[in-house]
Amino acid sequence: METWKEFEANELTHSAAHHLVAIYEVGLKYGGWARVSDIARHLDITRGSVSINLRALKKREWIETGEHHMVRLCAKGLKAAQSVMAKRVVVKAFLSDVLGTPDPQAEIDSCKIEHLIAHSTGQRLARFMRFLGSGDPVATEFLERFRGVRGECPDNRTCDVCKGHCLVDELERAI
Amino acid sequence: MSGNRSEVVEDLNRLMAEEAEAFLRYFQMRFRLRGKNRRTAEKFFEGALKETLEHADAIAKQIRSLGHIPTLHIHLSLGGGPMRPEEALAEALDVEQQALDAYKDFLPRVMGDPVLEDFIRKQIAVETEHVQEILDVVHAGPPLKLVAKLES
Repeated sequence: METWKEFEANELTHSAAHHLVAIYEVGLKYGGWARVSDIARHLDITRGSVSINLRALKKREWIETGEHHMVRLCAKGLKAAQSVMAKRVVVKAFLSDVLGTPDPQAEIDSCKIEHLIAHSTGQRLARFMRFLGSGDPVATEFLERFRGVRGECPDNRTCDVCKGHCLVDELERAI
Repeated sequence: MSGNRSEVVEDLNRLMAEEAEAFLRYFQMRFRLRGKNRRTAEKFFEGALKETLEHADAIAKQIRSLGHIPTLHIHLSLGGGPMRPEEALAEALDVEQQALDAYKDFLPRVMGDPVLEDFIRKQIAVETEHVQEILDVVHAGPPLKLVAKLES
């Protein structure tokens, strides 16, 4: 499958990911159960929207409903929510701690990416971050040297990353 | 009236958003309807969208009478393919039930305010009736009963 089609076919949509995480976070105070009204406030959307979105999650057996319109995550939903949260944390750490992306932007970008990357990619990134934070002199030096790099392009505007087409110039034009 | 006025206005804005969003959903849902009972269901949604807009308008007027300007926050993207009338009604039931629950949750906050309490009680009565109507149709099951119920 072509990559963009894979993106469209993603089982866990952005909205679904946010609903699952919201149910998890709201439910922390109530033994895993969350009210539709609290989920709506948490996500800043209407109760009607939440209710309709929950139908899809229930169909996929990610959540179950209880009395008084309460919902909670099923095992499958909990697994999905935890993996999304883990990927969000590790992506955000990479963006802010390594790349130096300012905090609000790192939050926004990690939120956009969290549910799209494979679990294995998230795992590799987590391993990479552990290495960088391990105190290993090589990792420390690597980080220091990376932070010192100004990203200046060679005069001929080509390098191993850009391979003949200057990406830095391209991105500068887009900003 | 419990809670300060700005919190009450905030809740009224949320109620208005529920109604306005329901209006938009029903507006779009009419065009997704497919199947034998499409025309009858379309009529049902035409009535429902008129009613939700009236409710949103009534709430906006309550907000204005409290000296505030209504603010509307809706995050909505409506796509989706064709829909059978039964599916559409099941979604409408969810939306109406949530609106009813929202009015019920809000009622204790306006107890003692003669105007708002009366307004919310009336909304609860209307929404309760509306939810019951949809429930009756949904439980009617077979298409023939659905048509008969919607047309009555």
